[in-house]
Amino acid sequence: MHRVFVTGIGVISALGDNVASNHRALVSGDCGLSKAELVKTKYADLLHFGEVKVENETLIQRFSINDKGITRTSLLALQACNEAISDAALSQQQIASFDTALIVANTVGGMCLTDELFNDSNTKTEGSPFLASYDNGSVTLFLQQRYGIKGVCNTINTACSSSANAIMYGARLIQHGIVKRAIVGGADSLAKFTINGFNSLGILSSEFCRPFDETRNGLNLAEGAGFLILEAESDVKNKKVYAELTGYANTNDAYHASTLSPEGEGAYQAMTLALAKAILSPEKIGFINTHGTGTENNDLVESVALKRVFQTVPAFASSKSKIGHSLGASGGIEAVFSLLAMNHQEVYPSLHFESAIPETGLIPVLKTHSANISHVMCNSFGFGGNCSSLVFSKV
Amino acid sequence: MYIHKTSCISAQNTFSDIDLETINQSENNVLKVREPKYEGIPAGILRRMGKAVRIGVGSALPLISSERKPDGIVIGTANGGMEDCIKFLNQIVQYEEGTLTPTNFVQSTPNAIAGQIGLISANHGYNITHVHRGLAFENALLDVKMLLLENPNAEYLLGGLDEISDYNYNIEYLAGWYKKEAASNIDLYSSQTIGSIAGEGSAMFIVNNNPSDAQANIVDLTSLHSNNIEDVKTWFIAFLEKNNVTVEDIAVLISGENGDVRLHDYYALIENILKSNSSIVHYKHFSGEYPTTTAFALWLAIQTSNIDSLPTHFIKQKANTTNKNLCLLYNTYKGSQHSLILVNDIRK
Repeated sequence: MHRVFVTGIGVISALGDNVASNHRALVSGDCGLSKAELVKTKYADLLHFGEVKVENETLIQRFSINDKGITRTSLLALQACNEAISDAALSQQQIASFDTALIVANTVGGMCLTDELFNDSNTKTEGSPFLASYDNGSVTLFLQQRYGIKGVCNTINTACSSSANAIMYGARLIQHGIVKRAIVGGADSLAKFTINGFNSLGILSSEFCRPFDETRNGLNLAEGAGFLILEAESDVKNKKVYAELTGYANTNDAYHASTLSPEGEGAYQAMTLALAKAILSPEKIGFINTHGTGTENNDLVESVALKRVFQTVPAFASSKSKIGHSLGASGGIEAVFSLLAMNHQEVYPSLHFESAIPETGLIPVLKTHSANISHVMCNSFGFGGNCSSLVFSKV
Repeated sequence: MYIHKTSCISAQNTFSDIDLETINQSENNVLKVREPKYEGIPAGILRRMGKAVRIGVGSALPLISSERKPDGIVIGTANGGMEDCIKFLNQIVQYEEGTLTPTNFVQSTPNAIAGQIGLISANHGYNITHVHRGLAFENALLDVKMLLLENPNAEYLLGGLDEISDYNYNIEYLAGWYKKEAASNIDLYSSQTIGSIAGEGSAMFIVNNNPSDAQANIVDLTSLHSNNIEDVKTWFIAFLEKNNVTVEDIAVLISGENGDVRLHDYYALIENILKSNSSIVHYKHFSGEYPTTTAFALWLAIQTSNIDSLPTHFIKQKANTTNKNLCLLYNTYKGSQHSLILVNDIRK
């Protein structure tokens, strides 16, 4: 099996549209959450969101896109993907060889276009320019065509854990020698569809989300994209390397369609199996980027599972306290944040926390400080019981 | 990787009493699934399920025995629950983002199918949903291939499914992928117009590394993104070479031909390379066209170890196939996504 190294990262989130701006904001403990300004919804002023304050038109011009049928999800993906590719200094020849895979996580696709989709699915008049852009695969196919990728292409949707599974799939393609490198990550945009979906489940907070706080009352939906370039060790040579992906696991909680089991079996197994894959004992983990959505159910269950896995729970924080929950993109964005923490040997605070959950008593990192991190864990749990954990290690 | 058990819900009689002779006809250019009674699913749960989840769970459960749980559930579906998805969207528009019920939303996510199978069968193992449009099932297959290299003693539930609702029919119709004129699945292949007949279905498989009592061996698979016919040719020949297979070795080509005149050249290309050495089977008059039809094609490939026992309506060309046991599935989805799956019928 080939070892898999991360050689490039790219991100766009409510904290900024590149890695440097996101890093600055993480260090200074900024909050990217706000009322919505761009997404058209009745809830724009009523709820908080992790909205990327960049208009579609800006991105369309930035990338000189002429095609009329490109969605916001695809534009966000392209922004982060471009940054990761140039960070890893992949040549056009490498990108377009059969040795390069493209694996994209995505749950919203073109469903951000509520009105167009409503018309295109209900009326037999002339279609909109977006007929081929509604499905999740459309985001991957847009990137595939734009870059001329010939290797394995795939789109994964396991709800909120989609990106973690895209990273795993790309890594496994490299380990089996099917490709030499993989562009992996995820993207999602804010959409009336998901805003109303999560609202109907009663798990959106009208305030800033408060992950791991006793009084937490829901999540803030968000958008963005996060991408990594994974390369086989033999191909990396003298390149800058962020980390090795040493551990990963995908399990199912098998409890309920939209809530986690009280004992957190799926989460527990995902973390335990990821550690086993990395051949690490739990105390080696220096920092955990938790799933930490801010919902009553997730944070309690994740805390219970953390206490089952770790005798002493290591430093942990919720990125969603700063950027909200970007669903299929969250695992990609938060993998980038985890790699930044390890590369800069520092941890970033979880925001809006006041008092611990009484049942578990866990307190997240509350201010930025330096830390010794050799291994970092990144959790993603989703609807359908889909739980995934990743472990990145210093090289 | 070896296929041991199969199950299929389709527009035809493929579930409990398999009848490949009778062809159910399309209505208004759509072949809709014949749903069974779903005896294994509790009524309360069944009522809340959308069609994609129903046919997915309904076709999966007969394969999951109580003695041995699969070590993972690997599903390919381009769209998952389209009906629920647009129903929820329509509620958003109709009630102007008012108070909505979450059932449609939860059922509409593509991973609800694998999630429900995991839930009903209490399976904590690997659980994933590949949604890469016309290569969603192929990616599921590749995933299982890698899983069996990683865990040689494991066993996986593999499936490919999609549903047709009025809504995704409308979108694909407007985009020109279904025929504008009234057409029939019976004479699909003689059509000289663009578009195909819509279909839907779910095919499930139990796959492991154990050759004994297996029904077929999946030797290899590959996929390609291109609209260029020369690329397709180069890719096809490279795949045969990689597997040390000559055109003479292929007993049967299972062709994804779908009556869309724009895709004719791709299928003709493959048929012409194979010439008269191979029998050619087509099946989309039986299944209809949808993004994961290759799962149906794989199910069909396993139903018969002998082309002579296959009803004539499947047969486009018949060659002398004695002593050959390789079967090749070629499909293109919309001319931009292509796949090849090489199957060895080990029952011969």
